[in-house]
Amino acid sequence: MSKKTSGGTVNTRRWDNIKLSFSVFFANTAAVVGLIIVLVYLADAFIMQIDPGLLGITYANTLVPNFLNPVPTAPSWQHPFGTTYPGVDLYTSTLKAIRIDLFYSFLVVGVGAVVGSVIGVISAAIGGMMDEIVMRITDIFFSIPYLILALAIGFILGRTLMNMSLTLALVWWPIYARYTRSTTLSTKEFTFVEAARASGVSRIKIIFRHILPNSLPPVFIQISLDLGAIMVIFSTLAFIGFITNASVPELGYLTSLGLNYVQIAPWAVIFPGVVITIFALAVNLLGDGLRDVIDPRRRS
Amino acid sequence: MNIWAYIIRRLLLLIPTLLGLTLLVFILSHFSGNNILLATYLNPRLTGTARQLLVQKLTAEFHLNQPIYVQYFYWLLQVLEGNWGFTNTPVFSGQVTAAIELFLPNTVVLTVAAAILIWIIGVPLGIYSAVSRDSAADHILRVGSFTLYAMPIYLIGIALIIVLGVYFKVLPFSGVVSPTLVSSFSWYINGISYPTHVILIDALIHGAWGVAFDAFLHFILPALTLALAIVASIIRILRSSMLEVLDQDYIRLARSKGLPERTVNNIHAQKNALLPMITLFGLTVAGLLGGAVVVETIFSYPGIGYWTTQAFLNSDVGGIMASTLLFGLILVAANLVVDVIYAFIDPRIRY
Amino acid sequence: MEYTLNVLNIKEQFYTRRGIYKALNGVDLQLKKGEILGLAGESGCGKTTLGLAIIGLVPRNAAIIEGEVLINGRDLIAPLREYASRNSKKFNFRKSENIIKKLNQQLASIRGSMISMVFQDPMTSLNPVLRIGFQISETLVTHQPEMLAKRKLARSRVTDIDLRDMLELLKNGADEKAIRVFTESKGLQGIEEQVLNIWSRSDLGEAKKEKMIVSLRSTKLGSFERAILNGVKDRRGMGGWMKIPGLSRLPKSILFKEGYRKAVELISTLEVPNPEEVVKMYPHELSGGMRQRIIIAIALANNPELVIMDEPTSALDVTVQAQILELMRHLKQRFNTSFILISHDLSVLSEVCDRIAIMYGGRIVEVAETDMIFKKPLHPYTTMLISAVPTFQTTEIKGISGAVPDMRDPPDGCMFNPRCPYVMEKCKIVNPHLGEVEQDHSVACYLYGD
Repeated sequence: MSKKTSGGTVNTRRWDNIKLSFSVFFANTAAVVGLIIVLVYLADAFIMQIDPGLLGITYANTLVPNFLNPVPTAPSWQHPFGTTYPGVDLYTSTLKAIRIDLFYSFLVVGVGAVVGSVIGVISAAIGGMMDEIVMRITDIFFSIPYLILALAIGFILGRTLMNMSLTLALVWWPIYARYTRSTTLSTKEFTFVEAARASGVSRIKIIFRHILPNSLPPVFIQISLDLGAIMVIFSTLAFIGFITNASVPELGYLTSLGLNYVQIAPWAVIFPGVVITIFALAVNLLGDGLRDVIDPRRRS
Repeated sequence: MNIWAYIIRRLLLLIPTLLGLTLLVFILSHFSGNNILLATYLNPRLTGTARQLLVQKLTAEFHLNQPIYVQYFYWLLQVLEGNWGFTNTPVFSGQVTAAIELFLPNTVVLTVAAAILIWIIGVPLGIYSAVSRDSAADHILRVGSFTLYAMPIYLIGIALIIVLGVYFKVLPFSGVVSPTLVSSFSWYINGISYPTHVILIDALIHGAWGVAFDAFLHFILPALTLALAIVASIIRILRSSMLEVLDQDYIRLARSKGLPERTVNNIHAQKNALLPMITLFGLTVAGLLGGAVVVETIFSYPGIGYWTTQAFLNSDVGGIMASTLLFGLILVAANLVVDVIYAFIDPRIRY
Repeated sequence: MEYTLNVLNIKEQFYTRRGIYKALNGVDLQLKKGEILGLAGESGCGKTTLGLAIIGLVPRNAAIIEGEVLINGRDLIAPLREYASRNSKKFNFRKSENIIKKLNQQLASIRGSMISMVFQDPMTSLNPVLRIGFQISETLVTHQPEMLAKRKLARSRVTDIDLRDMLELLKNGADEKAIRVFTESKGLQGIEEQVLNIWSRSDLGEAKKEKMIVSLRSTKLGSFERAILNGVKDRRGMGGWMKIPGLSRLPKSILFKEGYRKAVELISTLEVPNPEEVVKMYPHELSGGMRQRIIIAIALANNPELVIMDEPTSALDVTVQAQILELMRHLKQRFNTSFILISHDLSVLSEVCDRIAIMYGGRIVEVAETDMIFKKPLHPYTTMLISAVPTFQTTEIKGISGAVPDMRDPPDGCMFNPRCPYVMEKCKIVNPHLGEVEQDHSVACYLYGD
């Protein structure tokens, strides 16, 4: 069409597109900040996973209480974030907790999103009775507020960390099923799908080559945004007291430890909460930046 | 489509949803075997032979020896008759229906107040943010709502406690009323106030202004926390909805008619932007209910949510299953109301 | 020569993520009073952008870096141009939006009353949650509240006898002027258009018309209402206390109701059946053709001097098209309204336009009277455009080779040079000016001199 780009192969155009995507993304300072923060958190999780000793931590999976001095103390050189209820150092606990929270949140989103998306796409692509049944099932899941549903399911499965994430995955998959179902349905209606069908392309090929590539990008963005939301919900459940294990490093649980001392030791509740909020913020900024890149409408 | 046909269709759709809901609760409560069902309906205070007799009676009544779908049917009968089992928690022990009667009014008052706050704060701010796009005020609102959106509910509550309760010592943050104030009233027995079980309202009914004011003060932080937790998403969504509307052709036509900007915003744009908000309200109710659980726990506010967490922490089967069912019913009812209201308001459905 | 509209050297750009899109590159246009000017060209040549620029409805990423739009001597887009020409390096969308908002305020009094626009897509141009009657009434109440007040006051004062007298006159073949003289003599200005409109309706039988005319008198006014209406009429608008948002509800609602009545009259002249029902409906209940007629009714409600019509018939079928074109002829004849008719369809333009301007690449390349454009097209592009329109005699379909230029990176010199069969060296360097070659026939091409 234009004089400049009329030449060149398909590959150069794809490279141009990728370059444009990068420039769009990195022009958005907020998104870049979000990306950096998320990377920092991920780095902490990886270091904790591989060699916690690097950060001076010996027990990566439990909180270390100090019953000699159980009352929360103010931040100092030994305890940069202070301590919370049974003499637990907040700084190291936060580092441990980030890894735990990240891991289980990824698990929830991974399982819930993947399972839900697959169900949603297949249900919409096939349609008919199966679609109706899936719709009804998701309706039933939606008829109970997710927090309460999580409590009910969690009660039955058992109150451990792993079960909590399983519970949340069970609560979360219907959202993805519905979401991918609606994007698949609208892509199905597009004329290019009709055109493909008219030229004799098999149904499976249509699903994989036409429908999926168009319905999936928004799902990726939704997944990235959900990471933050899931971690917040995860910590909320832990805050209420979902887990019976009294020394699990988890950001919500850490907050609840300091709740009784909020009048004299506000830092005990502030630090873990702020750590989570920053992560959720960063994830949201990152997701917004990704949306700018992927959603074709916002590119121009 | 005729609006009445729409409403009737919606009501009919209600039945399978309700069946599904009760089925889900039933299945959940059945997952660990018959014992859970028994435990729900077993009065915890009975022991010995009386207990065994009751077990036998219940086994017969619920047909626990027969296949599951039969059990479901008889359980459903019991539920419809109003027999929801027993609950055994530190905060309350006894019939579930009695617990609901005690706690539900408080939660209703809390969620309704929060909902009103959300709409009063959220709608004008969301619209203003869109209309004065990219201005300083808009940026502040966006950053603020973004941050609120990222904060867990409990953190918002804690932050409010720290600022208003500890630092400024303005508001109390536990319970519903200062116990010393109420001990001498005839309508307040054993922690329960009559006739509505909501201390604030009862105090107003009985003319005890001091008590009412104190109850009101206790009420502010929980309601504010709940409202702030949800208003953030309302502002964001309303802002983007309004921006989308302002890009439409009919807004351009309105401007080409020479209408003042105020009219374009208030009459042409707002109506279109707010319409999808009403469907959002169903989701808002879900968020309010879930949030109420957390908020009531933090502030020791005696509502359904508080009872639910207590039941959960104390492994009280009856309590958990009953509250799940209750919350589900409330949400389904709220969604129905929202759908009907939307049908009345959107002219595209009405005519 | 008094021009209604004078567009001088408009240059407009859009800032997009993929570069600066140069939509208008120096457009000059003059419109005489009572003239229908056609604006033709392919998609992407800038016709719609030009139309929007004239009325000042630009998006916030638009920069009018040069040029003037003069209506009766007043430059409409001055603020936009001043900002854009000074800030091309650091163009700020927010500041641009603020300027646009201020401009909207400034132009609000002439938009809808002196200059109005009909947009391309009737399906999305009407507000879906507001009734038809409301959307028409709005523009009447905003710009002509005193007219509405006068009408209602006249109805309250007219007597049975007066109406029957007028009926007699009409039955005996009296024309508009006679009726007007009659009403003026009785001091009943405002009633004549109501009576005449009912009489000229083609969807009612004579008996029904009689009944409706006689029923015009049955309007009772409370004294408060009468005072309000008189206030509106005398002060020529809603001034003073009526501007306060809360208090203005009552007079506004009275005027809106009257507006609904006038709306019925307006759309009945546009051949809309059952106008009384239609005004109470919502847009989605009407077909595309009906909606377009409503939009045209809105644009014409206040008898503007200039109406810009952007492809008003592209979304409609030919019979509706014919009706709308007929309406334009009628309006030009009766009110001397000037029209700018934008279309890519030369055959439509040939039906109704006095002059036609051909646009290409954001510039006007030829302007002439309609006959001359078709009999003696000068610019190579015009020639190809005309020969591309199939007629009964056509045996082969001729297109124009090449494609429309990418306006982010337009060619130097004349925009058409890559596709022009008569291209010369100087065409690639400097753009030719629009110069008058014959009487009333201008072209921008080096084939005809510099």
